[in-house]
Amino acid sequence: MSRPLPLLLFLETALIQPCIPPQPRLRPHRLAAAVSLALLGPLTTAHAQTASEAELMRRLDSLAAEVGQLKAQLGVMQQQRDAAAAAASTPPVPAPAAAPPLAAAPATPATVLTSYGEINYTRPQRSSQNAQADLRRFVLGYQHRLDDKTKIVTELEVEHSVTSASDPGEVAVEQAYVEHQITPTWAVRGGLFLMPMGLLNENHEPAAFFGVERNFVETAIIPSTWREGGVQMVGQFDNGLTLQAGVSTGFDLTKWDATSTGGAESPLGSIHQELALAKARDLALFGALNWRGVPGLQIGGGVFSGGATHGQALASARITLWDVHARWTPGKWDLSALLSRGNISNSAALNAPLVGSATLIPKTFDGGYVQAGYHLWQQGSYALTPFLRWERFNTASSYADLGPGLTPPVRPAERVLSVGANFQLTPGVVVKADWQRFSQNRDADRSSLGLGWSF
Amino acid sequence: MGVIRQGLRAIFDGPLARVRPTPLALASLALASAVLGGCGGGGEGVQAGVGTSASGPAAAGGAALSATAALGELIFHDVSLSASGRQACSTCHAAENGHAGANSLPAQLGGADLDLQGARAVPGIRYLASNLAFRIAADGTPTGGFFWDGRAVSLADQARGPLLNPVEMANASVADVVARLSRAAYAEQFKTVFGSDIFSRPDDALARLALALQQYQLEDADFRPFSSKYDAFLRGRAALTATEQRGLALFNAPAKGNCAACHPSARAADGSLPLFTDFSYDNLGVPRNGALAQNADPAYFDLGLCARPAGDLARRTDLCGAFKVPSLRNVALRKAYFHNGRFPSLKEALTFYVQRDTSPEKWYPLRADGTLDLFNDLPPAWRGNVNRSEVPYNRQRGDAPALSDAEIDELIAFLATLSDGFTP
Repeated sequence: MSRPLPLLLFLETALIQPCIPPQPRLRPHRLAAAVSLALLGPLTTAHAQTASEAELMRRLDSLAAEVGQLKAQLGVMQQQRDAAAAAASTPPVPAPAAAPPLAAAPATPATVLTSYGEINYTRPQRSSQNAQADLRRFVLGYQHRLDDKTKIVTELEVEHSVTSASDPGEVAVEQAYVEHQITPTWAVRGGLFLMPMGLLNENHEPAAFFGVERNFVETAIIPSTWREGGVQMVGQFDNGLTLQAGVSTGFDLTKWDATSTGGAESPLGSIHQELALAKARDLALFGALNWRGVPGLQIGGGVFSGGATHGQALASARITLWDVHARWTPGKWDLSALLSRGNISNSAALNAPLVGSATLIPKTFDGGYVQAGYHLWQQGSYALTPFLRWERFNTASSYADLGPGLTPPVRPAERVLSVGANFQLTPGVVVKADWQRFSQNRDADRSSLGLGWSF
Repeated sequence: MGVIRQGLRAIFDGPLARVRPTPLALASLALASAVLGGCGGGGEGVQAGVGTSASGPAAAGGAALSATAALGELIFHDVSLSASGRQACSTCHAAENGHAGANSLPAQLGGADLDLQGARAVPGIRYLASNLAFRIAADGTPTGGFFWDGRAVSLADQARGPLLNPVEMANASVADVVARLSRAAYAEQFKTVFGSDIFSRPDDALARLALALQQYQLEDADFRPFSSKYDAFLRGRAALTATEQRGLALFNAPAKGNCAACHPSARAADGSLPLFTDFSYDNLGVPRNGALAQNADPAYFDLGLCARPAGDLARRTDLCGAFKVPSLRNVALRKAYFHNGRFPSLKEALTFYVQRDTSPEKWYPLRADGTLDLFNDLPPAWRGNVNRSEVPYNRQRGDAPALSDAEIDELIAFLATLSDGFTP
């Protein structure tokens, strides 16, 4: 995809809809946020900065002078915002002189192609025979704007390169939703969307996180990439608050497989439904609040709670998951922390027929991490950001009592130390390397290399 | 032909077994029989748990049987179809024993004078509606089929076997079977359903007889009552005792009994009740049974999968000694265990499981030179096929067995909850 389209889109977004709700994983929106930050300062919402965003900021500075001439027009446009019904007739954005390709663009594009991909190489230290190279995922998506208030966002993912009856790959629709801006503050989103939980789930392109693999807490406890079908309201306020709340499908505990280890690796990841003939008698409520009122700072949390047995099990069970998180990017630092905990009600009744099996349904599971990255070096589009992350997680931190001899012992918490670096080749392309040490499963100690891109 | 077969299989696999068939469906069945001589073994849809709530067993319970199934029931209990005149399907597949053998003989006696010993123990024939024809699954696991070696592709195909087996019902030929059928009390009923000239076409008549037996087994809830205490437990209508609960834990535990590895005990994701078999095959190295007459010949070995009469798996010598994993529903009602009926009690069978490798001297004889003749019901060349990797077989002589004697008793207490006919 050539650069002009996203650039045009961010200009459109910034000029026409400065309060558009978050559109994670779409570069145009991050640009929009960055432009908003640059132009409107602390009064507007600012996303926490990543390495790539910092680079974007630098490049945007060079555009600032040219954009300056648009400020007057922006003021006019903002006044017109409440009367946005007539916005379809908004005149095309004048092309900055420094961006010749834009001059050729006749109008703001209605459709933007997006994509990201990850290719990883992982080598366990103590069992190099299990070293593995994998095209972890390749994603194509589009955002199509039907009018200035309504858009469709989709993503189609292929995991592990080849998908067929005899290959390990998987094809999945990760997002497919319609979003309509009702007021300048509130939008309604319906369809298959990413759940607003944690820092990574809604924003998991390879350039957006440190480390070759996604962190454990946000895969084992928060089952990224976690999506559900449903409806949510997205409100973005001028004070930097973003509020999301809605109703969605949930998990399916009736497919818990006590004989496999899937539930031990990720309790919720093993019973998610991904809107594939999802059992839907029991729906879930969810909400998330994020505050980005200070540039470079994001503080927030999310909660999800819903039935998971759909009238098909002996006992009804409810799954509740919450998280709190923060990210702060002062100067060259990129600091973040997250804590999450989930619980499953009535697990004793559901476990009664499964006693003795390898993986019983836990009552609680939890985890958290702290992470620090430092923008060590930058030259042109190149940037090197070493990072350090310590995480602790337990996929079965407690079990409901099943009686003596039958209640499984609580699993020990795993602690993982990750050290590595992200090298940005150019915004949107990242090369990663890291080393991970596990406190419990020492055989899992590994080093990894990764190549990722997104646009 | 494949398309036709698929279509007919869909008819067989559909709701016929659960709901009283319509005349059209019956006509379809008759057509299926005419074309294929019996096909299909019942599909996923006929299994009780599928599509039914936890509130009760298969919908067939209490429903009147179709005309075909009603004929099947008469045939099932008809001793006049055997050469001896004293043996029916129900003789060996006794309802009170979960439709398995009624006595502890390792193999039943048959033939014209009921003095010829069969080759293998009588398998239970309940809960087979969802079993399919034999196949090698995508992961290489031999799966499905009927009989201990899976050679029959359907219940109907299986039903033909004993009628013509010289050591069972011992009819000399298809014509012989049909001649007896034509003299049965229900012969007119048979003609009403299958045509007045049906007996003039012996092959067709036998195919319909087999079809009627299959239909009876698919329709009559007696073959899948799901009425055990464990079913009641899964439905929340009964509680297991502490001993039974511990037995279930031992059954499931991968490091203890590990029984659930081949005999799944949990409801499936679709809510269907467990069948306690994955319809696979295993090679357990069961000791040779001297009570079987065929074993008097030291050169004779019953090799199971690789020696099926059709010879289709003859090259798969890695499957020599493998036999079907049976359902454990009603296992406590059985009187002889394993394909060669080597053990007459559950206690002995389970003790063999866990002590086969830790105390092999208990199970296998000594050779003349004093060495142990391990896995002596297999030729030496195929003894390496015996499963020695999975729990509880993954142990060495002298190790502690995976289950203690007391734990075996707890396991038996649990297995007893799998017997149909529990009344809360």
